[in-house]
Amino acid sequence: MTVSSIPRETRPQTGAPAAPRPRAGSTLRSRDRSGYLFVAPFAVAAALFLAWPTLSGLWTSLTNRSLTGSGNEFIGFANYAEAFSDPQVWQTLWQTAMFTVASTVPLVLVGLVMALLVQTGLPGQWLWRTSFFASYLLPVAVVTAIFAWAFQPDIGLFNTWLGNIGIAPVGWLTDEGVAMLSVALVTVWWTVGFNFLLYLAALQGIPSTLYEAATIDGAGGWRRLFSITLPQLRNVTGVVVVLQLLASVKVFDQIYLLTAGGPDGSTRSILEYIYDTGFTNYRLGYASAISYVFFAIILIFTLVRLLPTRKER
Amino acid sequence: MTARRGRGPTGPAPHEARARLSRRGFLQTALVGAGAVALGGAVSGCAGSASAGGGTTVRIWDLFSGADGERMQSMQAAATQAHPDVSIESVTLAWGSAYYTKLAMASSGGRPPEAAVMHMSRLAGYAPGGLLEPFDLDALAALGIREEHFAPAVWERATHDGQLFALPLDTHPFINFYSPEIAGAADLLDADGKFTAISSPDAFLDAGRAMAEVTGATGMAFGHLLDTAQAWRLFWGLYAQTGAGFELTPGRSAELDEQAAVEVVEFVQAMLDGTVAPPKQDYPGAIASFVTGRSGLIVSGEWELPAYQDAIPDVGGMPFPTLFGTPANYADSHAFVLPRQEFADPARRDATYRVLAEILTQGSLTWAGAGHIPAYQPVLDEPGYAELSPQKDYAAAGDVVVLDPPVWFAGAGSDFQARMCDAMSGALQGRTKATAAVEGMLREMDDFLATPNPA
Repeated sequence: MTVSSIPRETRPQTGAPAAPRPRAGSTLRSRDRSGYLFVAPFAVAAALFLAWPTLSGLWTSLTNRSLTGSGNEFIGFANYAEAFSDPQVWQTLWQTAMFTVASTVPLVLVGLVMALLVQTGLPGQWLWRTSFFASYLLPVAVVTAIFAWAFQPDIGLFNTWLGNIGIAPVGWLTDEGVAMLSVALVTVWWTVGFNFLLYLAALQGIPSTLYEAATIDGAGGWRRLFSITLPQLRNVTGVVVVLQLLASVKVFDQIYLLTAGGPDGSTRSILEYIYDTGFTNYRLGYASAISYVFFAIILIFTLVRLLPTRKER
Repeated sequence: MTARRGRGPTGPAPHEARARLSRRGFLQTALVGAGAVALGGAVSGCAGSASAGGGTTVRIWDLFSGADGERMQSMQAAATQAHPDVSIESVTLAWGSAYYTKLAMASSGGRPPEAAVMHMSRLAGYAPGGLLEPFDLDALAALGIREEHFAPAVWERATHDGQLFALPLDTHPFINFYSPEIAGAADLLDADGKFTAISSPDAFLDAGRAMAEVTGATGMAFGHLLDTAQAWRLFWGLYAQTGAGFELTPGRSAELDEQAAVEVVEFVQAMLDGTVAPPKQDYPGAIASFVTGRSGLIVSGEWELPAYQDAIPDVGGMPFPTLFGTPANYADSHAFVLPRQEFADPARRDATYRVLAEILTQGSLTWAGAGHIPAYQPVLDEPGYAELSPQKDYAAAGDVVVLDPPVWFAGAGSDFQARMCDAMSGALQGRTKATAAVEGMLREMDDFLATPNPA
């Protein structure tokens, strides 16, 4: 994905001002050629690791290929037909959507609040900045190991706390109604630091003259927040929300490590189901078909989301 | 698209790179690419140098961690001492479904290790698909390993179409361990200091209540929450005790004796009542409860024995009591298999047979120390084995073992076991009825039976 954007400054500047144009086309062509040379590594990597897997996955989804190498016959759209009638596909899709909502909303709001608190002059800004961002640097295996113990039903940190204030223990990862929220909680703790940083940077980019002018006009703190700060953060909020949605729909690692999809499948995300189908049950063809169904759904949502923005322009 | 994963599922790291792709970024990526190529070379170079080193290299994959792993390492070291011309390259991978994913991929790629450890319950999914090579019985006999050295049921389970596909190493049943101190205080020990015989569900529950009075917490421990095997191990073993049959034929719907299945689930529900055993306990929680004396008996696989012995040196063990009339004990079996190689090296194959035979005939006693019942039966008659306690007390479980149904989707670390546990989890925590659990299991079984066998 890093391939798609070529740095602007390396593009051939065709509209170069007054400088005398090279007499023959040869110089230009050799410059073009060196341009391709520079792009080549990316192009090769993209072809090998993006284009080829995408095409080969599409082909696989039309076969009954298994992980064991057998059954490589073309079976048309049978896998797709199966996917559309497979209740597991829809259930896991729904659960993925639930997780996306349950994680994106707090991830954006908490990140924003944390950035506002730090920006509005808590002493020792560097300490807050570091602490809020530090958890983002942890590998997922470490995060889930910490939380697996904190969520432990008998001796876990959270249930001990609850017990101290007289609340009955919660089945954080074992209660079907709670488990997905617990996974979202872990995710928020783990990755909110990134959104916090984006917001903090944006906050620091708001010109102080705006605030000065508002203060002179008699605007109080809340007024400045709602009339200056939040409107000024609109663009970065758009970025944060989109990034967060993309990150949340492909949730897999935390779930795989914390619950493996349980209890009773209540935390199985669509990627977990694809993994289980392809790698545990060896049905690569069918797993590929589900991935393409998932891909199509994301594509449709993206297009629907793009349409109104086009009109605005 | 699954291949395009960022740093973390919610870690928008890819964006970071995209936001400011600079010349430096380009160079870094190029460097990483070059590094990957160099690394690839290094890895293949490494494998090459190992085989060029002392003697013939035999690569063995296993899934033994902890105490099991240490014992397997020492058994392999002893085997290479007996055969100095062979060196073993041992690879230990994590237990679970991912192990079988890797093994299947390696085999289908044609370049798997010379030998690997596998659960016999997975054989039905492997042998017919051509992922494994059968053993040469004459070569094994020449090394002193013959059919009569194994329990007939075990040998039969290791064969497919009349050929031996697995060389059984052990049987590891799902049994009961108890603390003699707590059981004694609850008046549950006989004159020899062994747990009194239990032959009905009610007697089992009564024993749990008696021990609960002693511990002040629960009588028994059983970890099943979020576990992908435990509930199934308990259920399937007890279901076999009812004497009821089953019919799992791919392409047809599953047939269980529903009444017997409901009876078993209701018994487990009665057991997880908060007094006999806690309704919500996970695997490590159950071990912690047992070793700290908050329960007097644990329903557990024998492979946890070393952990129990560390805390309770005189820990007792017994086969799962026959509660429903027919003696039966859930178990699985570790076995060595020969994954199919595209280019098998006869010298390595010969060395593989020799070290595996050495491990089986000479190492089995070491292996028994970890709690497992050796499959190679001559070891059971050795004086060293009779001294192993509590191993000798539960060795009888090996005579009445029940493995997973011999269908391609079942077995250790399979999605099937996980789904069965899922279907029971509501009932075991007291939220749903036993009938709902059984219906859920049958529905899942039907799904698996309707799925084409991918092997």
